[in-house]
Amino acid sequence: MKSDFSCLFAGEAGYGVMSAGSTVAKAAGRNNLWAFVVNEYPSLIKGGLNTCLVRLAAAPLQAHEEAIDCLAVLSQEGLEQNYSRLQPGGCLIADVSLAVDSSRLAEGVRVYQQPLLQKGSGDVAKIMSNSAMLGAFCAVSGFPVDLIEAVLAGEFKPEVFEKNRLLLRAAYETASQQTAAAAFSLPFAPPPAKRMLLNGNDAIAMGALQAGCKFSAGYPMTPGSSVLTYLADNGPAFGLVFKQAEDEIAAINMLIGAGFAGVRAIGSTSGGGFALMAEALGFAALAEVPLVMVNAQRGGPSTGQPTRTAQADLAFVLNASQGEFLRIVVAPGDIEECFQETFRAFNLAEKYQLPVIILTDKYLADSAATHPFFQTEGLAVERGKLADAAWLAAHQPYKRYEFTPDGVSARALPGTGGGRHIATSYTHGEDGFYSSGNREYAGCEPEVTVRALDKLFAKEPPILEELEAVRLYGPETADLTMVVWGSTKGAALEAMELAKGAGISVNVLQVLYLSPFPAAAVAEILGRSTQTLLVEGNKTAQLGGLVRMHTGIHLANRYLKYDSRAFTPSQILLKIKEVLA
Amino acid sequence: MSAHDANLAYVPTWCPGCGNFGIFNALKKAFAALELDLEQTVLVNGIGCSSKIGQYINCYRIETLHGRSLPVATGVKLANHGLTVIAEGGDGDGMGLGMGHFVHTARRNLDISYFIHNNQVYGLTKGQTSPTSEPGMFTKFTPPPVGNVERPVNIVDMAISLGASFVARAYTGNMDHLADMMAQAIRHRGFAVVDILQPCVSFNAVNTYAWYQQRVRSIPSSHDPSDREKAKALAGLWGDEIPVGVFLREKRPTFADSLPQLTDGPLTAQPLTGIDISELMEDLA
Repeated sequence: MKSDFSCLFAGEAGYGVMSAGSTVAKAAGRNNLWAFVVNEYPSLIKGGLNTCLVRLAAAPLQAHEEAIDCLAVLSQEGLEQNYSRLQPGGCLIADVSLAVDSSRLAEGVRVYQQPLLQKGSGDVAKIMSNSAMLGAFCAVSGFPVDLIEAVLAGEFKPEVFEKNRLLLRAAYETASQQTAAAAFSLPFAPPPAKRMLLNGNDAIAMGALQAGCKFSAGYPMTPGSSVLTYLADNGPAFGLVFKQAEDEIAAINMLIGAGFAGVRAIGSTSGGGFALMAEALGFAALAEVPLVMVNAQRGGPSTGQPTRTAQADLAFVLNASQGEFLRIVVAPGDIEECFQETFRAFNLAEKYQLPVIILTDKYLADSAATHPFFQTEGLAVERGKLADAAWLAAHQPYKRYEFTPDGVSARALPGTGGGRHIATSYTHGEDGFYSSGNREYAGCEPEVTVRALDKLFAKEPPILEELEAVRLYGPETADLTMVVWGSTKGAALEAMELAKGAGISVNVLQVLYLSPFPAAAVAEILGRSTQTLLVEGNKTAQLGGLVRMHTGIHLANRYLKYDSRAFTPSQILLKIKEVLA
Repeated sequence: MSAHDANLAYVPTWCPGCGNFGIFNALKKAFAALELDLEQTVLVNGIGCSSKIGQYINCYRIETLHGRSLPVATGVKLANHGLTVIAEGGDGDGMGLGMGHFVHTARRNLDISYFIHNNQVYGLTKGQTSPTSEPGMFTKFTPPPVGNVERPVNIVDMAISLGASFVARAYTGNMDHLADMMAQAIRHRGFAVVDILQPCVSFNAVNTYAWYQQRVRSIPSSHDPSDREKAKALAGLWGDEIPVGVFLREKRPTFADSLPQLTDGPLTAQPLTGIDISELMEDLA
């Protein structure tokens, strides 16, 4: 028996295929199943093909597969593009208006056609089409229609719900008359504890709120904006102010102003917006102002592919901005890490007074999964060396940028007595004053320049000491070690399980923190690997280059994917077999 | 406090005779006149000769990037709206790279004072055209015989049009008047712009002290600063007569006034612990 079930809902933008998918995922999650939901959509408001893939299983999921068991489709384009994905014995649900070419279907695919697209005009008809599609889906797959109805009841106003309920039931009855077989065989049960359905961006925003973030500023850019939308919507109840800025340059400078004044602040964007922020990133670093920035990657270069995924900004975020300075770059691999590492990012930004970049991608930012409620006990806010009035009274004259062994000097927030100082984007001495051009530094400028830069990098050893920057999954030693970062983790972990089932021993090295680079930990793990496979979503093996630069180890076997879609477990398994053959 | 309290021991690096000395002294005078608590005052500056003012005055300061003083000031003010926030920079800094921010900050009417050191030339990069340079002006980037062919930005006219709620102009050669304009701007609740006319003794041979002395005229006391149309008409004057004084003063709610999150005090005073996100999780269940 298959242990999972995937259904692809497809139709024109505006017809609610994404909400159809999340309705099924929510219903499953409330009844002890686990869902993974992947939305694909072009950068269009209306028209164009939208698809929503829902994969369901009895165990937690972190990736999708291309193969599907059920295709529910409202447009001819949706049908044309997905014939080949439908597995033998699967089912096709299509509106009566669509021309189905049976010769393109796999063996044993059962076809159900009935009126799904609703007559009438406007968005109402579209939402209703969605309900009809869900009704037919339940009848054909055997997914309990009551569970769908229960979710819809919570989403709509009573009168709207009633209309949709009637249509859901009618389409269910019509389709039921055509079929008796049920493709869906996963067990439903009352869940042991409540679970959420959320995506990586939701998790980041929740992590920020939990960390006491009170300010956010940004300019919309897919797929980074939904962090901002979440904060704009839910933040005020937590005392957070969100400011839509005139551009990304303004946004990051507002965040720096807020950080200097002493609130925790977060911004979120994608590569193009991050590019505009690059100059200010260095400003935050040199002025030692805490800053937390999300870059949710999409395809590039330039405007690239707004709604598609990629892992090609790694080298950019590691090197963005002129000069040399220390930054922390963390690439969460799943929803749990999005939450936990965002919380940690605020602590790190304040403890080490530097920029922290949370690097995700469209796949992680936008794909939703069933997830247990976050455990928030034990999450402690650490603000680092904050100078209060009493401390300042005992430490006069106050030197904001005092050279200390760990590179971190006490930060006085505006409004604190005795802490007046200058924070600056110029290279400066311990007092914060511009060291090149001021008479006070004329005799020792080269020395001050060196010490000022050394101060920034003195923070590196304690950061490397503090962070568990790499994670190894699977056996300590294996026939093959996969090396991954970011959202590729989910598909890699599942591929590891698939390999195990095929009698192949594989483990996965996830580099969670990419800056400062955990060279020793990576070298240690790779040193005991007999065979390796680098898996990343770009053309130039950016992590591979980093590993070689920092450890001298060349990862010769590479699975690089830059076709704008995420890795799947089956694809990775094929590559593993190829390497080990 | 006295003007002396705002002094630091650092020696300004402006050229002898630079208009920035007058602006610096006027700012200290304004601070003293207002008896400002310097621990509660943040000066935000850009980059350029004008922006060096932040290096010499003893309050909290953040010296930002070229053109970016206003968004940084916005972040400071929203984070802690109890602070007095002043932004300073030059015509190149604020009207060149910073123009977009100027437009939008004025629309927002945040309670920030913005003092623009306007010398119609880039000084620190040694004499290029600025957005306020006169047509025909010869600079390194607009050499003779043609010179500058672009129309200058009229800061006062623009500030009024964009929604700044206090707009004034002053001249660094009249320090008492300048200090008074600065003090009024700081006291004003809302976005307050002061266009400060300032000779550059090294790179602007046209707009000299003598040039300004012949042209600067006080706005007649009969002018009603609440009259937006009259303010606009006055702002249009530039040439043989250059009006200085308060053009516009409007009482309007500030941006921060419209944020319910700020009614319980500044964001910086909010607790970071005891946060319960369980309702957010329930919403997604």
